[in-house]
Amino acid sequence: MPKPTPARAPEGREPRMDERQASSLADILADARVWKLKDASANPSSFRPAWSTGRRALDARLPGGGWPTASLIEVLLGAPGLGEIQLFLPALVQCQRKASGDTPWLVWIAPPHEPFAPALAQEGIELARLIVVRPTTATEALWAAEQTLSSGVCAAVLLWLKGTDDRWLRRLKLAAEAGGALGVLFRPERHRFESSPAALRLLLTPGALEPQLEILKVQGGRPGPVDWLDSSVSRPPEVGSVDSIGSGSSQP
Amino acid sequence: MRSRARESATADLFTAAIPPARRTAPALGAASPPPIEDAARSRVKHLWYAAVFASWSDTEESAVRLRRLCLHALQFTPRISIEMPNALLLEIKGSVKLFGSLETLHASIDAIWSRLELAARSATAPSTLAALWLARAGKRELIEDPGALAGKLAELPVTATAWDPAKIHTLHALGVTRIGELLRLPRAGLARRFGREALIDLDVALARQAAPRRTFVPRERFRERCDFEAEIETTAYLSQALEPITDRCSRFLRERQAGVQALELRLTHRALPLTRLRFGLASVTSDRRRLADVLVHRLSQLELPAPILRMELRSGPLQPLSAASLEISAGLRGAGRDTAPQLIERLRARLGEQAVYGICAVPEHRPEAAWQRVRALQVDSALRADTARRAGAVLRTAEICEPAGARRPVWLLEQPSRLQASDLRHWRQGEAVLEEGPERIESGWWDGKGIARDYYVMRRAGGERLWVFQERQSKRWYLHGVFA
Repeated sequence: MPKPTPARAPEGREPRMDERQASSLADILADARVWKLKDASANPSSFRPAWSTGRRALDARLPGGGWPTASLIEVLLGAPGLGEIQLFLPALVQCQRKASGDTPWLVWIAPPHEPFAPALAQEGIELARLIVVRPTTATEALWAAEQTLSSGVCAAVLLWLKGTDDRWLRRLKLAAEAGGALGVLFRPERHRFESSPAALRLLLTPGALEPQLEILKVQGGRPGPVDWLDSSVSRPPEVGSVDSIGSGSSQP
Repeated sequence: MRSRARESATADLFTAAIPPARRTAPALGAASPPPIEDAARSRVKHLWYAAVFASWSDTEESAVRLRRLCLHALQFTPRISIEMPNALLLEIKGSVKLFGSLETLHASIDAIWSRLELAARSATAPSTLAALWLARAGKRELIEDPGALAGKLAELPVTATAWDPAKIHTLHALGVTRIGELLRLPRAGLARRFGREALIDLDVALARQAAPRRTFVPRERFRERCDFEAEIETTAYLSQALEPITDRCSRFLRERQAGVQALELRLTHRALPLTRLRFGLASVTSDRRRLADVLVHRLSQLELPAPILRMELRSGPLQPLSAASLEISAGLRGAGRDTAPQLIERLRARLGEQAVYGICAVPEHRPEAAWQRVRALQVDSALRADTARRAGAVLRTAEICEPAGARRPVWLLEQPSRLQASDLRHWRQGEAVLEEGPERIESGWWDGKGIARDYYVMRRAGGERLWVFQERQSKRWYLHGVFA
């Protein structure tokens, strides 16, 4: 159970807050009588640390300033290969590096292809702490997902599941909350208009030149498109340079 | 003994007092004790008890019997060694104090053999061979002082050495019948005639030379059978019946401070051959909950081919429990939480051994060969987050095998697939762009799976990035990876 740090929550929620009013507004928000609507991060009991996404533009849009841990994130994909893993790799690397004590485990359940070890090693993932699970059926995949999320052993679980309905998503969300793990579920775009209990829903679609990222739903934040290939990426230079080639060429 | 050592040390201070023979080896300073005294002190480190069962001659049978006797003898010392064909050697130096005196200890070991109604001859000496020879000759001697060895051994017949009959015959022909006479022979001649082994044997017997021996390691397994009164047909009942057995297995392991990493369940049917279920555990354990967990999950997946008459649970080889496998930290984290081995076992028990694996990078240029599946996950060795040096090493291998800046895709296709005509058309129309490349990979001629390819990073119209290559010979285009 992470320590509740309520003082930090309001800042993360409203990053573009006016400096002059900041102190007084923070005082008001800290008052227990002020009821804050739809703000999960403001509730001290449910506050979890967030992992930076490694992209400033995206961090600014997420409550807590990064991926919410101990919750389920749903990523809807227009097509595979739009950089959906790249979106999470910086956070995964950071969570493995910064952890005190034993390096946390990462689990990938039913990935569509083989994860290529040299690429992940290049990014800085500790491969000795990565498990790939390949269940044969959809039901077993869901079972494995629930087990790994709730085990409390894994820091992050990446899921490619088929046949997920609302009931199962709710179970996965509860498992993620119980185990304190970050669950990332990748699904095809066609599930966009289905209801989902995920704390954060993202849509990644092919754009004119570069993939487009849109926040469909976020607890304690505003949905809308994100300029995620912003030049202000705090990333290693080799990937950043490639990103800047794309964004440099007149993006709408 | 100690007073003698001190004496010689003081003697060393006054170099004039040293006898001329001693003066040949004094390159060592006066501060270090003389080597001879040092050797003498180290000699009494061991005290060997030998028991010879003279009536046993059949090698195979006695090997089995000796191993069983070792288990009996383990109550006196953990260092037991089998001397084929019919003797046991026990290193008892460490146990003397516990039993009061050497005489008592020796007598209590002897008492086991008489209780088992075995005719054994025994002796104790500071060296293995001396004890053995004395026992073979039937002299129940208890020698503690290595200095007394030569005198005691001198009376023994040369047959006590159990050298091969040809050598003994030659010795007899020379008129040598006692070991004392053997010791008086010139060493050079002895070595020439009987080989260096004979000389080494004599040195070992006189405790002049160390003779390391292989210690007997008890090979215990847990094994319990359960016969059912009526044939069972459901696995639910089976797991219920397994519960007490698992309990006993765990207790058995804990008593021995050991764990197992493999279990086997054998189910006997009336007509069909045995069903064998093998269970692997992610790490060495004796935890009842983990053993039961694996068994139950696996049994829930099992379809019985026929009703079961009998079942038997067998453990794999016992392994010592390491500090990491005790999972102290797991207890601190909270009772309900799992540990990584538990999670992996549970997944493997239900999904199959093959379905759960790790991956590792291999320093190899061919992308197909640059990674491997890892079945044995390192769950025991605590991987500290602060051992960044190791992570650095992994990175470095990645850098070595890849030229600087060459990107690798997160997904690698199992088999490179031919690029479709539509892709090529898009490309020609300028909608798909080759962003990076070519990166030539030409390797592997030595094992018949050679490749010669030019790799490119291709960006499709929507922004998807693909790893494609052109085969150099056929000029065909293939898709090999996806930058996800």
